[in-house]
Amino acid sequence: MALTLQALVTGLLMGGVYAAYSSGFSLIFGVMNIVNIFHGELIMIGAFTTYWMFTLYHIDPFLALPVSIVSVGALGYVIQRVLINRVVEAPPMISYLCTFGVHLILSNLALLLWSADFRTVTTSYSGVGFSVGPITVPIARLVTFLIAIATTVGLHLFLEKARYGKAIRAASQDKEMARLVGIDIKKVYALTFALGAAITGLAGGLLSTYYVIYPQMGLPYTIIAFCVVVLGGMGYIPGALIGGLLLGVIQSLTATYLNSGLSVAITFILLFIILILKPQGILGRGIVE
Amino acid sequence: MRIKLFTGLVVFLALLAFPLAGAEGYYYRTLSMIFLWVGLASAWNLTSGFTGYIDFGAVAYFGIGNYATALLMTKAGVPFFPSIMISGVLSGLIALFIGRYTMKLRGAYFGIATLAFAEAAKQIVLEFDRTFKVRFFEGSDGITLPIAHDETFFYYTFLVVVGLIVVLVFTINRNKFGYALKAIKEAEDSAELAGVNTRRYKVSVYALTAILIAVLGGINAYWLTYISPLDVFSVIHTINMIIMALFGGTGTVFGPVIGAFVLSIANEVIGSRLLYTWLLMLGVILLVVVVFLPRGMIGLVSLRRHRR
Repeated sequence: MALTLQALVTGLLMGGVYAAYSSGFSLIFGVMNIVNIFHGELIMIGAFTTYWMFTLYHIDPFLALPVSIVSVGALGYVIQRVLINRVVEAPPMISYLCTFGVHLILSNLALLLWSADFRTVTTSYSGVGFSVGPITVPIARLVTFLIAIATTVGLHLFLEKARYGKAIRAASQDKEMARLVGIDIKKVYALTFALGAAITGLAGGLLSTYYVIYPQMGLPYTIIAFCVVVLGGMGYIPGALIGGLLLGVIQSLTATYLNSGLSVAITFILLFIILILKPQGILGRGIVE
Repeated sequence: MRIKLFTGLVVFLALLAFPLAGAEGYYYRTLSMIFLWVGLASAWNLTSGFTGYIDFGAVAYFGIGNYATALLMTKAGVPFFPSIMISGVLSGLIALFIGRYTMKLRGAYFGIATLAFAEAAKQIVLEFDRTFKVRFFEGSDGITLPIAHDETFFYYTFLVVVGLIVVLVFTINRNKFGYALKAIKEAEDSAELAGVNTRRYKVSVYALTAILIAVLGGINAYWLTYISPLDVFSVIHTINMIIMALFGGTGTVFGPVIGAFVLSIANEVIGSRLLYTWLLMLGVILLVVVVFLPRGMIGLVSLRRHRR
């Protein structure tokens, strides 16, 4: 029983981070209809940013988060301006192949620069936690979870309430109409991508406080993000929150009772079951094309 | 058309006679490797190039073929040729099941779902034994196969099988099945309205590709004599198939052949020494081809011909 409870708590804490970076994935998909394969690389770069800030300048990873946010956001903006804008009107398969190309470039560039070594950020509070009954809650994970959830909720509120958020939603709902009322679509796209990337960079920085980081870590995260948004509904931010928490818990239970090496397998099996049982959730009018 | 067939036949006969010239082992290995990639890129093209459903998980069937053949040969004592045939059938059956559901997805959804499938297959083969405390797939230890033949055996096996695959693609390109596949790529909904059972065609061709890739995988396992999940399920194989076919020209018969020929030589020269640099270059090639040359090398040639 204690084991299961511990697995649930660990899963929820991890699920918060899943929710945060999946909301970035969902935002980019919802507005531009782009399934971003280098999403995991954005996490990797966000994580490496805090890692290097810590290793070279001894800056605490939580304090270095703004650097992750800004650098990954800026990278997203540039890639969007230089490349994605060229293919955003093309069939979705074209943009998918393009983001796959960027995935290859970023992950292998990171391998060349930083080698394939596994790295960790070890701070004074690493491994420190408090107990609630039989369950241990690591401090770093709890803080990470709270920041991740706050970010996801903040993104949702921004899209609902803020002026610019409304422009983004307008552009995702009806491109032509948004253009007619004077919204600069290409600018909205670039800023949306930057925003989605910035949140993902933040999630990467958060992950670095308690997870191993290495250049090839990205792809499983991309697959997880896809599964999370399929679970919760593509382009719907609160869906990413629910999907993220759910997947975090399922993976944590898998790691406890089966084998942590099966995380992607479980993710896929889950995805496949949704496909069989509830295809209407991800098929229908909203889909691609 | 007749010129292409004639050229193909001449190349095939020349390759058939090649060992008579008394070349060294290195050339057999390099050519066998090129044949393997020509076969894989052509088989991949059959589903993805013709229907436009870009499969990002094709390596799953390569891995299944490798493992099925290795397990049949080492654990059940089945001879080589029956083993690769059974592997093909098994792979086709798995593809029928997976394709039935993933083929409902369109565009990028299909791409990422198949990618997830291949990664899941790799993890299952890698972790199955440890999770369920058995010895079947042998996990990360991999499987060692018996060594019984020299390089010429594999040279001829690859040459004949790959030759048959290219002929098969050539035939499909011109028959009713092929037209249905191309109709799916051009306008799936209209094809469905015109009475084409698109789902059946999509799933059939997906299973056919899976059979071909698994047979090549089976030969690969016996050829290399040692396989491990991280090698034979590596996403790099899928990347290669995609980029080779795109580079040469998807949806054509000879595009993937040319693409595989050029890029597998480049892979041998650069990739075997500087893997990361090579993968980085593949990313750049992918971007350039997708943005500037959507019809591949074949497209360049036929464009020039049109201008004349």
